[in-house]
Amino acid sequence: MDQTFEITERPAAPAGPPVVEVKGEIDVATAPALRERLNAQVDAGWPTVLVDLLDVTFLDSTALGVLVGALKRCREAGGNLRVVMAEPRILKVFEITGLTDIFQIFPSVDAALQA
Amino acid sequence: MTDVIDLQIPVSADLLVLARLTAATIAAKAGFNVEEIEDLRLAVDELCLPLVRAARGGRMQLRYVSEGDSIEISCTVQATEALRAVGQDGAPEGRAEGRAEGRAEGATGAEGRGQDGAPEGRAEGHPDDTLSARILDALVDAHGRTDGDGQDRHWLRKHRASLTV
Repeated sequence: MDQTFEITERPAAPAGPPVVEVKGEIDVATAPALRERLNAQVDAGWPTVLVDLLDVTFLDSTALGVLVGALKRCREAGGNLRVVMAEPRILKVFEITGLTDIFQIFPSVDAALQA
Repeated sequence: MTDVIDLQIPVSADLLVLARLTAATIAAKAGFNVEEIEDLRLAVDELCLPLVRAARGGRMQLRYVSEGDSIEISCTVQATEALRAVGQDGAPEGRAEGRAEGRAEGATGAEGRGQDGAPEGRAEGHPDDTLSARILDALVDAHGRTDGDGQDRHWLRKHRASLTV
């Protein structure tokens, strides 16, 4: 297990979707694990998935690809992908790739849950 | 003053972090600011991604040239013929087969995701390539690919912002 990467799931609100919380660096080595986890959410019957990237320190195009793929799956399931992030560096990667227009982005988990 | 740093690692997704750390350290030493350092950290990662994805084993060679107020980073892969008995680490152990002419990255074929890794084939190939290209465009001053001796070389260049008082 990569020491600089961690995924956990925590139940959020009662009867709400669990939050997939990612910490550390999401790159070509660690992105597949995130993809599996997000797919598992949809397969478990949660069409809307919350991804908490607040403690992500690095993400690249591989990570973005996984998130885009997850977004498509969620939409196909009738839901959506909500992404939580606040770090300007991380937001920058979404901005320069034009993905801020594609994703629902929230500055906090609470904001994402209330959407 | 010119510094040249070479890093040679097995082609392996989980070792790309070394390429990133090296870029960040050298950029800091060269006087780049925090944002530029992080830009280079991401840029070198994006630079190497197609080579990492296309190669099957082998070793990746990165060269970091820090000169004046600019940094140039280049990446090439020396592929081995096949994974053979060495398993996954790709260490050639004496069979420095090196260049796989005609198969620049040493790709033994598409993985089924449609990536051919061909130097010219930028638009087609991996679905993330467009994202990668956009990221590089935004973060560095210049980047490209050259194909010499059948070896695919990816490079980028970034100038640090001048300090004006």
